[in-house]
Parts: sequence; structure tokens; C-alpha cells
Amino acid sequence: MASDIVIGMAGSGGDGIVSAGESLISAVASEGFHALMTKSFGPQIRGGESSCRVRVSTEAVHSAGDSLDVAVALNWDDFLKFGSELKCGGNTVVVYEEKTGVAPDKIPLPGVVPAQVLAVPLADLTKKAAGTEKAKNSLVLGLLSSWLGLARASLTKGIERRYAKKGDEVIQGNLKAFEAGFTYAQEHPLQRPLAMAAPKGTPTAKLITDGNDITAAAAIFAGCQFFGGYPITPSSEVMQLLSRELWKYGGAVIQAEDEIAGIGTALGASFAGKKSMTATSGPGMSLKTEILGLASIAELPLVIVNVQRGGPSTGLPTKPEQSDLFQACFSAHGDVLRPVLAPTSVADSFTTTVEAFNIAERYQTPVIILSDQEIAQRKETLDPIDTSTLKIEDRKRPTEAQLEKYVRFAASDDFVSPISHPGMKGGAYLGAGIEHNESGAPSASGAVHARMNEKRFKKLEPLKRQTGLVSVEGDPAAELALISWGSVAGVCREVLAHAKGEGLKLKVLVPTLLYPVPEQVYREFLGSVRAGLVVEQSHQGQLYRLLRMFIDLPKGVQSFARSGANPIQPAEVLAKLKELSFGLQSRVEDERRGDIE
Amino acid sequence: MTAAPLNPNVFKSDLKPIWCPGCGDYGVVQAIYRALSAVGRPPHEIAFISGIGCSSRIPGYTTAYGFNSVHGRALPIAQGVKLANPDLLVLVAGGDGDGFSIGGGHVAHAIRRNMDLTYIVMDNQVYGLTKGQLSPTSPRGLKTVTSMYGSLEQPINPLLQVLSFGAGFVAQGTPADMAGLAAIIEEGLRYPGFAFINVQSPCVTYGEEEQQLRAHKTRMKTLASLGHDPKDYLKALEWSTHYGRELYTGVFYKNPEPPPSYDALVRERQKELSKGALPRERILDLFKKG
Repeated sequence: MASDIVIGMAGSGGDGIVSAGESLISAVASEGFHALMTKSFGPQIRGGESSCRVRVSTEAVHSAGDSLDVAVALNWDDFLKFGSELKCGGNTVVVYEEKTGVAPDKIPLPGVVPAQVLAVPLADLTKKAAGTEKAKNSLVLGLLSSWLGLARASLTKGIERRYAKKGDEVIQGNLKAFEAGFTYAQEHPLQRPLAMAAPKGTPTAKLITDGNDITAAAAIFAGCQFFGGYPITPSSEVMQLLSRELWKYGGAVIQAEDEIAGIGTALGASFAGKKSMTATSGPGMSLKTEILGLASIAELPLVIVNVQRGGPSTGLPTKPEQSDLFQACFSAHGDVLRPVLAPTSVADSFTTTVEAFNIAERYQTPVIILSDQEIAQRKETLDPIDTSTLKIEDRKRPTEAQLEKYVRFAASDDFVSPISHPGMKGGAYLGAGIEHNESGAPSASGAVHARMNEKRFKKLEPLKRQTGLVSVEGDPAAELALISWGSVAGVCREVLAHAKGEGLKLKVLVPTLLYPVPEQVYREFLGSVRAGLVVEQSHQGQLYRLLRMFIDLPKGVQSFARSGANPIQPAEVLAKLKELSFGLQSRVEDERRGDIE
Repeated sequence: MTAAPLNPNVFKSDLKPIWCPGCGDYGVVQAIYRALSAVGRPPHEIAFISGIGCSSRIPGYTTAYGFNSVHGRALPIAQGVKLANPDLLVLVAGGDGDGFSIGGGHVAHAIRRNMDLTYIVMDNQVYGLTKGQLSPTSPRGLKTVTSMYGSLEQPINPLLQVLSFGAGFVAQGTPADMAGLAAIIEEGLRYPGFAFINVQSPCVTYGEEEQQLRAHKTRMKTLASLGHDPKDYLKALEWSTHYGRELYTGVFYKNPEPPPSYDALVRERQKELSKGALPRERILDLFKKG
């Protein structure tokens, strides 16, 4: 029986492929499976091509997986537009619309011999059962439910819920289409059965959400009271959820007139004493840069979410990439140090966002959360998060004694000064982007500038030593290593899970804290390492290069990086690691002979 | 706002202004002290937000909470402050370049939202801090270091702009008439919505002769003396078209029936919706299915 299956479907916008994927993930989640769904669209607003990948597993999953087990093409033109995202291989059962007229031995997947190819009269069967072709997606669900032995009752219940508003006729049509698909699949069993095994452990009621929504929820949990932002793909859902929910907590949301006003209003709210956030994607981040610097010099807490997409400029607005790391760390004039965090999954986006608020408050600094389109818009099943263990921090406020003679940027042992806010008697001060002395008075003195720069850098020193901001997994003595971040970290975690079976001794480092670089943690990790990969999705390999600025990486550690919208899959990382491992073995003899220093 | 007046000196800070001797902004800050003292809110309940430019230094010369931010962004920051704490009295100030050039895109939206803010622009038709370049309100033909042969551009008319954007309170003053200016600012502070006050505040170093305070004294005409009724929106538009040629002072327009301000509506919404809130620690219940 199968324990881990990846289904990929593509069609044109009106085919309801994504909604079928959503029905599927909801249904399997209610039966206790772990699942993950990514969606991908063409650039069109309506219509155009759309696709989704749904991975269903009996155990927890960390990535969108390798090549497809089942590929469903409602038409080949649209399917092929997702070539790099819907890869087929020898394990793939290819199901496609018979009407396309393509013969099963002529399907346009060069160089691949799929496990099985099935031309199914999807449209005709649907029409016959439901009276309309529109319910094609329900027919596809019927096929999958039967072949995979999955969630028949939950799926039909889901159909009833999904079309409740459209009336009985539509519901019945879709149910009939589902049954027709189910029957067809029973009459045409797969050559190599793919029926799923039961989920491991006691099935728990799972939550389903995506990275953007959970980030917004985490902000509310952390005590956020203000959001200012501007719509931009793929981050708008953060603002959308908050504009529905934040008012309920006494907060406010403003859809600003532009990206600059988005961060401007958010910074104003922080000056007024409230936890506050903005969210955007690459182009918006570029526009926000000046006010980011203001937040740093005015020492105001602020959380900025950048849901990365392909860049530069408009780039690839609907596809993931990890190419804004340099921007997050370095886009500023002047000497600036601001923390940069990255979540690695939907669930991790919750804790990372809460931590971002804590760091912002504790150190009175802007903090950037670097998410990416995949995490932000993929749906994941997750077990309920125990929020009682999460600490929520608030900024250090002045005591009444300190307000007697308040000095806003007063020197202190930890370089963090108590911060007042308008309304607080005795606390009035001048916040400013201009350099200022301890009391906040503008100053052009070199000595004051050097002193205040030092304060702003030194206060962040402890962050590099904070535990829990870097995860290290695997064999501590391993000579082979992977370093990865963001959505790609999940790929490396899956490689680690398979490494032992493949005879590899491996360890993996995944930083939540990207910047400042926690140098000591890397040095300890790299002590045993002789070869490895820094795996990420950018042309330049930005994390690899960032690490080289701060750490002497062992010679055998290489960059494994590629541009966005070209997913990195566990199998290829595994293959590359094997190569590195063979290389290490051949070096043993060379070293003995003294051929290598 | 029926608080007892405070001594104007309560609002004066210890910082020494960097302005040139004779700068109009000295008069503006004096008028602000007077207006604030009349309104009677204590300094710590006031947030004074500015951008960048000579005039944007002004919050530091008061004892209110000040934020001397970045060029052109005072209005967004002030709106964040006001929404985060609607109880505050929020003032915004800056120059003509800050408000109508680099930050020009924010004006229409601040007005559209009608937050209870008072926005004071010190309009001197020139960039003073950067030493004498053309500004968005410089008259056509003005020769400056960046318009050596005379400006080819028509100036922006701030009064006409903000009136057309729908501001509920629009006025103009000059420090040459201190009592009049203080009264206008006070009225703006008391107006329950977005109030815009254009102050003809001369630049003594780079400004034209007819823009100096001496000239203002002879040039200025109060709208009241011309029989203008500030409730008359269309007439206000007409008077405002004389900007740049005539120096009319006083209130151009004051909405006699101010709509509820944005921050007031926000408070209502928060109150209404807070009834349906999940406890924060159960926020993830949003994602439970079925």
C-alpha cells in the first residue's frame, strides 16, 4: 500500500482544478492524513492556466515532494506550461482528457516512460452523468478517490458543502459526476495499485491553512494592534485576514495609498506605543527601504513581512524565489543591522512571526520576516499548536522614577533604553531620523554618531546567541551536511529522512535567524563537516555568499542554487550528496599519498 | 475640547531653532504655542509629526511628543499615530516641498480618510534647507540655482488642491498677522476632522522680496473683510484660485456639518466587532475545518 503520494493536476482557469485540490486536502485532513497543497497559476487574472499539487502522506511532510505519482491533464497545453512544477517520471500514472485526441503512446512528455497512461473521456463522462461538463473536477475527484482508496464520504460531504449556495441541482450534478468517476476507476483499475495505507498514529483533527493566513493569525496572537499595507501578490492575504479580524481585538488596519504609506502608518502606530506590522513582496520592499532605516535609527519596534517572489522588478509575481535575502540584510544607506527571520513551513510561520514580534519589541528594532510564495500560498494540514508554551514580550517601558527625568535613548547595560509613547506623562521626546544624542536632540557630532551607532549594533549582540533560532538535525558527527532556509529547508529535511536508508551519514542546519549571522552556531556545526551543500532557490546562491562573508566555510561545502519557479526536489539533492560522499571517499587515498594538503 | 487654557511657555522646548534670523517659521511656532495653549491639552497628549526640511524641525521646538521623520512621509506616520491612539491631539507640519512634491501623493489620501489631524504647511515657494532650489509652489519664471533661466513650470496651488480633495477645513495665514494665524491654527485644531492650514512663511535667505513679512503686511487681505462666508464651498474654490497672486488669509472653507471622522468610525467598529472575537490564544481555531 502507498504511504506517500503526489498528485498534480492542471487545466484552464474554469476547470476548477484548484478547487478540486482544495476539496481533496480538506477531505484527507479530516481522515487524519498529513497533506500539503501548492497551487500555481499563469499570470492571467481569470482563466488562463492553473495547476495544483497535492501531496498526501501517512506521516508528516515537509515539501511538495518529488515527481508526480498521479498526473491529471485536462488539456496538454495548460499542463505543459507547468513543466518544471509538475514533473513526471517512471512512477507516474498519467491521466488525461481523451478528447485532446493525443494517442497514449504519443503524449508530449519527452524522455519519460510513465508507469501507466490513461486517456479518460472526462468531459463526456461528466456530461452523461451531470448533464454539464462543468462538474469535470468532481469527476476527477471520483477517479482519485477510487484509485487511491481515499476519503469517499468526506469528499461527497465536501461537495455538498462547497456547492451549498449554488442550489440542489448543482450539488446533485457534482455528486453524480463524482460517482461516475468513482465507477469508471473501479472498472479501470491501475496496473500498479496506489491505494493509501491508513494514517499513522491516532488521527487528530487537523487545521488547514496557508502561510499568509497563519502569519496574520500569529500577529494577532503576538498582540499586534495595527497593520498598514498595500495590496501586492503574493502577500495580500495577510492584510485581507487582518482586515477581517484585527478590529475585533481593538486594532486597526489601513489599506494605504502606496507601499511607503503602508510602512509609514505602521511605524507611526509603533511610535504611538502599539505593536504593528506591514506585509509586502519584493517591489514593495524596495519602496519601503527608507522608512526601514528610520525605524532603525528611531529605535522603534516593527515587523515587516516580505513574501518573496521572483525578481528583480516585477519579475515572477506568482512564483516563489529566495532572492531577497541580500535586500533584507543590506538594503539601507548608512550602517544598519536589522534582524531577518525566515519560516520554513506554514506551521513554522506561526512561531516565527511570534518570535519576530518578540525580537522587535525586545530590541526596539524593525524585524523582517522573509517568507516566500510557496509557503505563503500553499495549504498544509497541521496539528493544533500548543500556544501556551509561547512567550509574548512587550517593549521595555520607563518606570515612574525614570519618567521624572526621562532620557529616551539613555545608555544602559544592554544598550536598550526604556521607550515611552505619546500619552505617557513625562515621557515626551523627539523621535527622529536625524542623528541624535541620548536625550533625542539632533546632533551632527561625529562622537555622538559613533556612540549611537555602537548602541544600535551592540543591543542586537545577544540575538546571535539566542537558542532556538537555528535548527540542527541529524548525526552530529556527520562529515556531510546540508544548510538550507525557507521553503527549501523542507526539501533538505526530507533528504535527511531518507539519508540513512541510502547509506549516508548526514546532518542539516536550518537557520530561522538569517541575519545577523549566528557565527558560533555555524562554526560548531561545521566542525565535523568536510563536504556539503547550501541549498536555496536563487540564481546567485545568496545564503551561501552571505555565509562566506562571516564564516570560513570548509572547501567541500558548495552552493546548490537555482532560480525561482524551478522547484528543487529531494531526489536531486540526494543524488548530489551521494556524489559528494564518493568524492570524500576517493580523497582518503589521495590525502594519504599527500596529494592533497 | 473645553479644557482651560495653559501658559504658552508650557509648549516651548529648550532646543534652539536652527532657522535663519528673520525666518517666518519663528512666527509659526509662536502661533502654534498660542493655539495649543488656548486648546489646553497638555503636551504629553500631543503628537507632532513632521517630515524633512527647515520647517520640519518644528516638533523639536515644542514640548509635545515629536517625530521628525523622513522627507514627505509625515502624513502617513501621523495617520498611524492617530489610529493607534485616537485620544491624542495630532499635528502634522512641513514645507511645500515635503507636502506637495515628494510627499504629494499622500495629501489626497489623508483628506479622503478625514482623520482628525491638523496639517500645517509652511509654504515659502523655495527649498531652503538644500539652499535655494525650485519648489512645487515656486512661481513660473522664478530663477533659482536649478532654474537658472527661469522656471518653466506652473506652480501647484495647495489651497485649490486640498479643497478639491474634499478637506473639511482649509485656511491660510501669515506670521505677519500673529493673532490671525494663532486663531486659524486654534480653529483647525478644534475642527473634528482633517484640517489644512497653509502658512505663507517667508524664507529670508532665498525668498523673493514680495514674499517677506514686510510685504505681507501690505499685501494681505482677510477673507472676512472681503465678506467671504467659510460655509460657501464654491466661493472658497474661487478665492483659492488667486493663490500666488493675492495673499488672502483666514478660513476659506469650514464644513458646517462635519461628517464623522475616520478615527471616530474606527472606534465604533472596534467596539462593535470586539464582541465576536476569539480569545487571542485560540486564534488558530480560525483554521479548524468543518
